Amino acid sequence: MSESIIEARDVSVTFGSGVHKVEAVKNVSLTLAPGEPLGIVGESGSGKSTLARVLAGLQPPTSGQVFFNGKPVYKGNKSYIGEARRQVQMVFQDPYASLNPQMTALSAVAEAVRIHNKCDKKEAETKALELLKRMGIAQLDAFKKPRQLSGGQRQRVSVARALSANPSVLLADEPTSAIDQSAQAQLLNLFHGLLTQGLAIVLVSHDLGVIRYLTQRVYVMKDGVFVESGDTETIFNNPYEEYTKELLASIPGALGAAARKKRTA
Amino acid sequence: MNAKKLLEIIDLKIGIPHPRRETLIIVDNANFDIGYGEMLGIVGESGSGKTMVCRSMIGTLERRGAKVFGGQVLFEGEDLAHAPESQWKKLRGKAIGYVPQSALAGPNPVLTIQAQLAEALKKSEAKGSIAEQSKRLLDLVKIRRIDTVLKQYPNQLSGGMRQRVMIACALASEPKLLIADEPTTGLDVTVQSQIMELLKEIRGEFGTSIILISHDLALIDDVCDRVVVMHAGATVEVGSVSELANPRHPYTIALNQSRIDIAEPGSELVTILGNAPSVGEWPPGCRFAQRCIYRQSDCSSGEHHPPLFGERGSHQSACLHTELLEGAR
Repeated sequence: MSESIIEARDVSVTFGSGVHKVEAVKNVSLTLAPGEPLGIVGESGSGKSTLARVLAGLQPPTSGQVFFNGKPVYKGNKSYIGEARRQVQMVFQDPYASLNPQMTALSAVAEAVRIHNKCDKKEAETKALELLKRMGIAQLDAFKKPRQLSGGQRQRVSVARALSANPSVLLADEPTSAIDQSAQAQLLNLFHGLLTQGLAIVLVSHDLGVIRYLTQRVYVMKDGVFVESGDTETIFNNPYEEYTKELLASIPGALGAAARKKRTA
Repeated sequence: MNAKKLLEIIDLKIGIPHPRRETLIIVDNANFDIGYGEMLGIVGESGSGKTMVCRSMIGTLERRGAKVFGGQVLFEGEDLAHAPESQWKKLRGKAIGYVPQSALAGPNPVLTIQAQLAEALKKSEAKGSIAEQSKRLLDLVKIRRIDTVLKQYPNQLSGGMRQRVMIACALASEPKLLIADEPTTGLDVTVQSQIMELLKEIRGEFGTSIILISHDLALIDDVCDRVVVMHAGATVEVGSVSELANPRHPYTIALNQSRIDIAEPGSELVTILGNAPSVGEWPPGCRFAQRCIYRQSDCSSGEHHPPLFGERGSHQSACLHTELLEGAR
């Protein structure tokens, strides 16, 4: 196996105790190569978002360890503030909830630029505008507040903010579930462009259509464990687990129709 | 027109009046109809007026401060565009059922499922006690462990279960028309496909006409008979699912091309230029013209949005230059 940028070893996350004990993630291991598009797919409650948070350095695992470029991310049950904090950035499901409603798109991004690049306000704003432009947000829209932007625009502002740290890994948790079809196409094109620039993207989603479009390798998650993993195209053509087949058959449109046919045949 | 229609929307115009400023028109030129036992899909971007048109069909526009300013909403031949609340009370939740957009916020959080259903069943004329009927409804929407679920509160149920309860409530009085406004937003694909199966079964069993609102063309392709495409408050194309595979409006063409289920992995997806014009900033003439790659000089010259061309009930499009679209698909 080639050098991996992120490696998770036997990661488990448990919430609560006694009768309320929930094992969200159970002994999961994964690797991510630099510049690789990776998918994690599963139904809600399968633990995929928790795993994403662990990978991002936001959720200390109950046991196990995450390594970034070979260095551990967590020390004890605290996150170890290192390189990973800047290099691994996350985009959340609901951009409306993750953007400050009082700040314009520009100031939200400029703040992040200023912190990560330690530059003054003026310089940060120029850089932020450039970033927003790369994300397809026009200068006119940069001065709007989140409520004045469309869902797709908001999500692209979130991506711009994540990119301000110049990360090498982007973790996207259900980035397309709150936006409509044409906005989804825009965002996916954007991700595609970022991949060609060498950024690794971990795409967490319940929508296998999006996963197929963007990733080359996928982990299928159910009840906190990986039930199947491998090459995206292979899993699409020859799913092994019943659960994967069910997920495939549920995709609306042409893709799901093919999987449904296979299932009944 | 041939067969009798259950519901017809004719040149519907909806606006939000303002005491000092001009009335804000949010829907203009909405045109479509739905036959008995038909499943109709309405697609469009957020803000295209899909939900407002639906509200006009259940008479709850005024709760959002909006009003019908023109056109007709014919339900079984009767114009409801300006119907008083008293008339709506007889129809809503009775002849017309509504499943709201947000499954998670839909049910009243302080009522048990039993109480929820009892309220919906108040208007029902079916025989049997409320308890019996509630059980029958939950059975209909394929909920197991009925006795447990009846005593539970919405927060104890999963999203899919809550949406099933909402559908059960809407079906309480065996409506002729069921309107489902993005019923699966925020739900998993597996749950989504179960809900879609359920809708198909309901249609098959009771002959209920169903309007499904969604922004997902692939989903609508799977379950609906006919599709209505809306853009910036106007109907831009109407046709059967197979007819829409050969779209006659550039907006529909673009929507089709942005579908990831058809696209080759890794290929560039076609996106629509810019954003839909905001309400109140609609350009004269065709409202899609500024985003259209086939735009001609006369597209923006008319004062009004082009009407739907072609005979009602057939494959209709509001594009002035369908001839340019040949071979473009």
